[in-house]
Amino acid sequence: MNTISAGPHWQALQALAENQRLQPIHQLFSENPERFSQLSFRLGALLVDFSKQHYQQETIEQLIALAEESELPSWIDKLFAGVEVNHTENRPALHTALRLPEGRECFLDGQNISIDVQENLKRMEELVNHIHTGQWRGFSGEAINTVVNIGVGGSDLGPLMACNALAETPARDDSSQLAQQAAIDVHFVSSMDGSQLADLLKVLNPARTLFVIASKSFTTIDTMANAATAKEWLCKHANCSDTALVARHFIGVSSKPEKMLDWGIPKQNQLEFWEWTGGRYSMWSAIGLLIALKLGMSTFKDMLAGAHNMDEHFRLTPLKENIPVLLALTGIWNINFLNIGAHAILPYDGRLKNLPAYLEQLEMESNGKSVNRQGETVDYNTCPILWGEIGTNAQHAFYQLLHQGTEAVMCDFIVAAKRYGPDASQELRHQHQLNLANCFAQSRILALGDSVLEDAHTAPAHKRYQGNQPCTTIMLNELSPFTFGQLIAMYEHKVFVQSVIWGINPFDQWGVELGKQVATNLLGQLDGENLETLDASTAGLIKTINGDKVGVM
Amino acid sequence: MKIAIWGNELIAWTAAACFAEMGNEVLFVPHYKGGSENTRKSSSKDAPANVKEEPGLIKQFEEQENSGRLQFSNSSNASEAILHLLAFLPKQIDLANSLCELLAIDESRQLVLINTSNFGIGASDKLQEKFKGQQQVMAYIPDQLPAGSALKNFKQPDHLIIGCQHDWALMHIRALYRPFSQNLSNWLIMSAKEAEYTKFAITGMLALRLAYINDLANLADELDVDIDIIREAMGSDERIGQHYLNPGCGFGGEHFPQYIEGLAGTLSEARNSSLLSTVLEQNEKQKELPFRKLWRHYDCDLQGKTISIWGLAFKPGTASISNAPSLKIIDALLNQGCTVQVHDPMALENIQQHFEQHIYRNQLQLCQHEMQTLENSDGLLLLTEWPQYSSPDYQAMSELMNTQLIIDGRNLFDKEFLQELGFTYQGVGR
Repeated sequence: MNTISAGPHWQALQALAENQRLQPIHQLFSENPERFSQLSFRLGALLVDFSKQHYQQETIEQLIALAEESELPSWIDKLFAGVEVNHTENRPALHTALRLPEGRECFLDGQNISIDVQENLKRMEELVNHIHTGQWRGFSGEAINTVVNIGVGGSDLGPLMACNALAETPARDDSSQLAQQAAIDVHFVSSMDGSQLADLLKVLNPARTLFVIASKSFTTIDTMANAATAKEWLCKHANCSDTALVARHFIGVSSKPEKMLDWGIPKQNQLEFWEWTGGRYSMWSAIGLLIALKLGMSTFKDMLAGAHNMDEHFRLTPLKENIPVLLALTGIWNINFLNIGAHAILPYDGRLKNLPAYLEQLEMESNGKSVNRQGETVDYNTCPILWGEIGTNAQHAFYQLLHQGTEAVMCDFIVAAKRYGPDASQELRHQHQLNLANCFAQSRILALGDSVLEDAHTAPAHKRYQGNQPCTTIMLNELSPFTFGQLIAMYEHKVFVQSVIWGINPFDQWGVELGKQVATNLLGQLDGENLETLDASTAGLIKTINGDKVGVM
Repeated sequence: MKIAIWGNELIAWTAAACFAEMGNEVLFVPHYKGGSENTRKSSSKDAPANVKEEPGLIKQFEEQENSGRLQFSNSSNASEAILHLLAFLPKQIDLANSLCELLAIDESRQLVLINTSNFGIGASDKLQEKFKGQQQVMAYIPDQLPAGSALKNFKQPDHLIIGCQHDWALMHIRALYRPFSQNLSNWLIMSAKEAEYTKFAITGMLALRLAYINDLANLADELDVDIDIIREAMGSDERIGQHYLNPGCGFGGEHFPQYIEGLAGTLSEARNSSLLSTVLEQNEKQKELPFRKLWRHYDCDLQGKTISIWGLAFKPGTASISNAPSLKIIDALLNQGCTVQVHDPMALENIQQHFEQHIYRNQLQLCQHEMQTLENSDGLLLLTEWPQYSSPDYQAMSELMNTQLIIDGRNLFDKEFLQELGFTYQGVGR
């Protein structure tokens, strides 16, 4: 078996880890006052501080050697060049092409796909403008003022996160000004059971509500079920033809134009993205329509520019200064050599409340795999369990476990250095200082433990803090569309780098397919078909629902 | 008496003509620019459109000019009078401030200023603060002249609201208005602030009535009853009366919406009341009513249709398109890909200017004759009830139009007659 774990660098890292365990993080600080300047990196307004990690300079050198052994630089080239890095689905993964500035080329099979990307952006801009100027009319002739995104996974998490993260962005030009004047109400529904949608339909005005059906395949059952419910609701209130209803109240975003057409969505209401954009990398495509609707096209474009800035950094910077590479290798060190299997995402910023859910999908759907590109089962750990919450809220929930539990957890602290301008109230500005103080205090204690106190050793055991939970602090000068784009692209590339080290394909998700198939079969059995083929548990549950007698104690 | 009149509003020209007729010496400064600068020489030729259109006004104005009692004046001459009448636009409050500062320099002189401008509640008291002299008084008399019968109303008001509680000044004001008081049932004397509040209250009440009748009309549409019948019956109740009960596609104009906006703002800030903001919101919605009817008629698709519009001004008798329903409707139609053929006896030029920068301006055709708008038309929208539209050549209309569809935003036409002639007719609430 061709495995990286048998190679010389892996072995060397294991030896380093043995030694490192004996030397807690607080000791690394006391021995090296230059730790921060040596282990923190900057790209424009984005700073990443690795100095609270449980490693030293030479560890990083070994990790980089490991990356080179894995041929990381050539994989990066392949990613950007449009090679079919998603080999199980025979596709490239060209989300980076979505963020190329106008005029830059990207060729795929001899076609300059940048032209399609720019054309689609223009179409998106026209749609957005039409809605912002109040000229998109519903069945009654009134202007649309509410847009509901129906999508799930990548068609939901990204735009939802961006809309919340950037809602405070001040108007910068006509497009964002128009967005603020129009104040389009946006909502997101995803859950298959229809509960989010049902709640919304109680309060929305059908005459002024537009639905965006966002699905790469345009067959996702969760999404299509919600779309059907939305259409039924509109039909009940409108007195126009079916064709008119769909034309005035539905926009489709998909890579399958023919499927959108089948559903009744006319060409002019369709926005496309392409097979080469993975669902969880699709926020940068027309899937981002809601972002542009809520915040303006210029904000959306600033976000793309921020991501492109990170792309260029990732593509061109030597590994030892390459921020996504270092972030990924730090994870490799923690997961594979310090045996940490949990990763907490802790944004110290209420605007980033959806970041943990977004990264859960990005990382766990990409790298939650145990078979390598050669089809062999790997003999090392891959993606850890990720979860998270707004940091200050999590302090009142699971931080107890982080500080005094038995699980080792690595933590990402994400914070904006500046918030609230001079116009904000004094109390509000004080809240930001409080937030910063808490962010730094928690990462400090998690990494250094109660060594930060002078007389900690006198405290009883239940009041002691072991520390040694490795932390990375990601600090944006301020949370803007640009820095937000940088931040998300950084995590995307981190995930790719880890997949290269582990030798797995991060761009497929076969693990979610079987459930869909089995659920489809069970629909029939819920409707009374023969249960004989089922296991006793599932059969028992279905019988209970269908009112058959079963032996329940 | 000698009185100086400042400002270019309809009431300024009317007051000038009427005070002069009663023997007063009137110094008229319609184009005051602030400070003590001399303003350009004016003549009745420069009168604004609504003044020129006012029945009998220009004639009387010129007669008084010829008599010598009424003259256009520069600001330095005019400022020497004791009596002053201020008739500025709401946005010209800076001019009022500047004029008051000019007049207030000499604390010893006598001054009676009558403000008729709508600067908001408490504005006259604010202007009063500029004066230190004992006999220097700012009063407020609300401008209640209805366009179309300004002269008659000025000469024979049935009541007069006077916001002034200073006995000496009140004496002057009573003397000035005495010749117009033979029909007067009531001199309503109150403080300037109360008079301003009264003006706002009346305007708000009228807006509420319009909003209510429009809401009723929209419901009548859905219930298939004729709002005309309901309206007449309502008006016969003496507690209600017939005024301001005509449904239509919204009110526009420079002043009316502006006053209500001011009052709505005051109410919502001070009382957290959204009543009048709702009225304004509903009115904006009502302006698009003809568009919505057309939209539904064509099953939400107007791409490629040719639509005719009769009447662009916010009301008959004026070239003003300020806040007119036509603006929103043309914009909506152009955005839906229609060719829009429009006519108005006076407002064409203003419409041309307004849409000069519109991205779809090429789809807008201005027609010199109303019948031209109907060529190949898929529907006619009537937005302003100009008298000349009342009895058109229906036969010719029918022949010119592609589709015999009339959407009557002012309930001008006879529904049954049009239906008899084969037109599809939709009014407001009938």
